[in-house]
Amino acid sequence: MENKQLNAKESLDLIASMIQNTQNSMERNAGVPFLIWGYTTIIISIIIWSLITITENYLWQFLWFALPAISIPTTYITNRHNTKGITTYIDKIILQVWRVFGIAGFLVSIPAFFLEGYPVLFCIILLMGMGTALTGLILKFKPCIWSGFIAMALSHLCLIYSGLNSILIFALVFLIMMVIPGHILNARAKKLSLQ
Amino acid sequence: MFKDLNPLLHSELRLAIMSLLLSAEEADFVYIKEQTKSTAGNLSVQLDKLSSAGYIKIAKGFIGKKPNTSCKITNAGRVAFAEYVDALKSYIIPHP
Repeated sequence: MENKQLNAKESLDLIASMIQNTQNSMERNAGVPFLIWGYTTIIISIIIWSLITITENYLWQFLWFALPAISIPTTYITNRHNTKGITTYIDKIILQVWRVFGIAGFLVSIPAFFLEGYPVLFCIILLMGMGTALTGLILKFKPCIWSGFIAMALSHLCLIYSGLNSILIFALVFLIMMVIPGHILNARAKKLSLQ
Repeated sequence: MFKDLNPLLHSELRLAIMSLLLSAEEADFVYIKEQTKSTAGNLSVQLDKLSSAGYIKIAKGFIGKKPNTSCKITNAGRVAFAEYVDALKSYIIPHP
């Protein structure tokens, strides 16, 4: 590209094409945070379920703290390595949405350590389902919208099956809510970047 | 009546830079270079011109150990861009 003067039509075409380029770069790597949080949640859920089943010691529940301890730095490091050279307004809005839902998730988890029978897994799925659906609506990405709403509907299973098995339901919902749309989102981003 | 086009924006590379930054929160030098298919030297000169006019803000820093230059459009840049597009319309829309 040079410093040449353009006519009116060329100027408008250039503006349109540059804005289009920016929009195409919006979704690159968008699925990675979903995969990090989805897989980490599933693995930790299965570990906690297994350890409690084997040892019958509920103190293993403290392993839930490993979830943010692993996922937050991994997401941060991955974002830095996958940097696409541009931060769009959509990236910023999605980050703020997840900050709000992340803090809300942490706050609703606290009573679980004091109140017996507190439906923490139900609350977390409901909140994360809302975050996922909102992300889908912002990205105009239907698999995320649907998986978010399906997760919200499935969250009630954690009220119905409130015992130890609710941890397995929790893991299953995260598979539907984050892992599946995360892979679809990455595949779509890959297709877009190949174009 | 044809309106005057802002000469600072009425150049292919500078207009491309402003259009990119308009729809982004911020973009780094390498990304702008790739998208505009310009040379590093020319891009640097044009970014300085836009920065001197107050249309963009340039921040130099590091990502890890790598130097990074990121650019952001300012409010003055947005206003100038809107006025430029408005002036362009006078060339496209037929006058009675």
